[in-house]
Amino acid sequence: MSGQKSERVESGTAAPARPTMEAQIREAARAYLEDVAVSCVIGYERGPRGNVRPAFIYEADDVDRLVWGADCNLNLVTYVHNWKQPLGRGQPVPTVAIVARPCDARAVNLLIHEQQIQRDKVKVIGLTCAGTEINGQPRLACQYCDERVPVVYDVLIEAEGEVTAAVEADAYEDIAEMESWTPAERLAYWASEFDRCIRCYACRQACPGCYCFECVAEQVDPHWTSIALELPEKHFFHVMRAFHLAGRCVGCDACEAVCPMDIPLSKLNRKLAKEVEAMFGYRTGDDPETAPPLTTFDPQEQLRL
Amino acid sequence: MKIVTQAQLNQWLDAIAEEKMLVAPVEVEGKLLYQPVDDSGAIAWGYERTDMSPKTWLFPATEPILTVEEGLETAIRPAQDPEPKVVFGVRPCDARGALAIDALFLDQDPADGRYAQHRAATTLVGLSCPQMWDSCFCTVVGGAPNGSEGLDILLTEVEGGYAVQVVSEKGEALAAGLQGEEQAVKLPEPVLREGLPELRATDEWRAQFDERYWERVADRCLGCRVCTFVCPTCRCFDVRDEVATHRPGVRVIERLRAWDACTVSAYRRIAGGHNPRPTQHMRLRNRFYCKFMYYPEDFGALGCVGCGRCIDACPVGIDILEAVAAVAETAAHPEAVG
Amino acid sequence: MAPEHPFEPKIVGFLCNWCSYAGADLAGTSRARYPQNLRIIRVPCSGRVDPLFVVKAFQDGADGVMVLGCHPGDCHYQQGNYFAQRRYALMHRLLEFTGLEPERLFVEWVSASEGKKFADVTTAFTDKIRALGPSPLKRKRAVGQPSPEEVLA
Repeated sequence: MSGQKSERVESGTAAPARPTMEAQIREAARAYLEDVAVSCVIGYERGPRGNVRPAFIYEADDVDRLVWGADCNLNLVTYVHNWKQPLGRGQPVPTVAIVARPCDARAVNLLIHEQQIQRDKVKVIGLTCAGTEINGQPRLACQYCDERVPVVYDVLIEAEGEVTAAVEADAYEDIAEMESWTPAERLAYWASEFDRCIRCYACRQACPGCYCFECVAEQVDPHWTSIALELPEKHFFHVMRAFHLAGRCVGCDACEAVCPMDIPLSKLNRKLAKEVEAMFGYRTGDDPETAPPLTTFDPQEQLRL
Repeated sequence: MKIVTQAQLNQWLDAIAEEKMLVAPVEVEGKLLYQPVDDSGAIAWGYERTDMSPKTWLFPATEPILTVEEGLETAIRPAQDPEPKVVFGVRPCDARGALAIDALFLDQDPADGRYAQHRAATTLVGLSCPQMWDSCFCTVVGGAPNGSEGLDILLTEVEGGYAVQVVSEKGEALAAGLQGEEQAVKLPEPVLREGLPELRATDEWRAQFDERYWERVADRCLGCRVCTFVCPTCRCFDVRDEVATHRPGVRVIERLRAWDACTVSAYRRIAGGHNPRPTQHMRLRNRFYCKFMYYPEDFGALGCVGCGRCIDACPVGIDILEAVAAVAETAAHPEAVG
Repeated sequence: MAPEHPFEPKIVGFLCNWCSYAGADLAGTSRARYPQNLRIIRVPCSGRVDPLFVVKAFQDGADGVMVLGCHPGDCHYQQGNYFAQRRYALMHRLLEFTGLEPERLFVEWVSASEGKKFADVTTAFTDKIRALGPSPLKRKRAVGQPSPEEVLA
């Protein structure tokens, strides 16, 4: 835990400190499991080897498994797609509680808008967040993030100290840099990055915005792309996945976090986010009512094509 | 035993690279992958375990099996014979991985012709592990960090260089060009990991098929293909006939084989739309059971060699050794099932 | 191997039925000349053109891709071209970002009465692609295997 922009006070120091975020999360989870008819609380836990992984808590007695730390990185909202169906015949759609950082919480608004979930079926345990880390390094997405409080939450888990929105870098600096290269240089860059890709689809599976029953990359009829694990197919997959998320990507960077080959996938999504922001003044997930730009139009606008 | 210095080893590898394809661990943007190298200097010496196994050199991630030329006449051409190659720096676990795939692709009738060609054209030169690494558990599944099973040559680091053990005829032919000195040497014992669980027999796995444990682990499974693709023994594949090109009167169709994984939802979906493994828990359970029950019972080899890559690669911390331990724990304390 | 000949680009054009395709028809009946490199795919509306089509066209051998639709406000289905406009504004930038020369994707509004415009833009586009050369996005066969072209030769 880096504690660069906020202070996380360990319990046991000067009173009357607010309980640690971890303690607050456990309390919220306990309350949901005991008082409200929540089927499951989805949060983070540590496995026997110390690594953070998603936790699914079904009993109030188990809430102490939940943890919070700077290495908590997956977008847990993606699991809501597994909880959209009734658990049994004649039963209602279950309600789940999800621990969410500000970036993750935006996905909740997106999915409500796209009618994948109902607002009352998801209890958002929202975290004030100073940024998380991958392998001890602050995530790129966190360095650019200007958001400390989630846009949507049912319970707000507050950090000890002041969590300031000190943005350290221009969100699109690296994108702008790449835009100054020649097309051939960019092609060579992406060819070398995609070369490592093993088409495992971890990026797609981890993404809350990717929930098609059958991905175009796997469709047999129409046959969009070969099953080959070669560069053209990988280029196709990543370009199309990025485009299918244009205006829908919340910038959680779960795709990049899960990639086993450390491919900088977020660059594709941030490039589109930059263009969407410039053209339409839109940011994904602000609220559940506003439609992502590609699902609507303005008859008066004239865009440079 | 023949002892070679690093320089002699490099010389030998450089000579091999001149003559045929030499594949060895290289570093690519921080990842360790088995790739062709022009000379020994490109090898990422001092590596522990690569991120991808060398499986792709025996069982390519993508390959055309045959080409069909459809025109006034139809011609079917098999794929070109694979290039002869030497894969250097194979760890003992990965070599056992090749043996595991052999149990299905070579030892069953009919054999997989394409795989047999790759196997025949490839020589495996192994490098013993001085220790078991963080996520390794080869000893749990019948392997050893210094095992020579499945290799053609095994090198072990000793003071001053490497001790050379020739394991097979293919290895003997290749090692003929390796200059070294005959010396009496005691090979160092690799450092093992302590406190690893015991792998239970298939009957115990059968008895625990309906345990809720599998559902709970699968809660977090994303249904991607990472574990399957990094694994040295996973060998499921998809085959598709794809139109490669056409001009007036002629169409060229390739029959492509590519890696696939039982963890994805569409894997077991059959014509008509029915899916015998419709939930992620069934699919994840299938992956573990294939390795520790179905494969050994059907083909006589374990489907896991304890390399630990899936443990490190899984983005949601699903740990196959934890599953092995859970089965052992439940077997030991059946009344305490949770 | 196939005999050497100067590079002639393959151009794929997605033309909407009501405006641009009719415009192309008019070019034909008016005897306005345009290069034969163009392969036309008629779609009901420019809004039907999925960016998947564009990427697949490039992968399957197109050196340049055109998407021609009705002028904004004139769409036969009222709205289709508004969606196309947004979609292609973004797709163009994404393709450029991943290494395609921006000139290879051309989106324009051509009405049913603009036969000459159709001929002019097609000619200009083809000339530009010819100068740019073959597209870098064409699929090639795996290492160690003959390409389908080699098989056919």
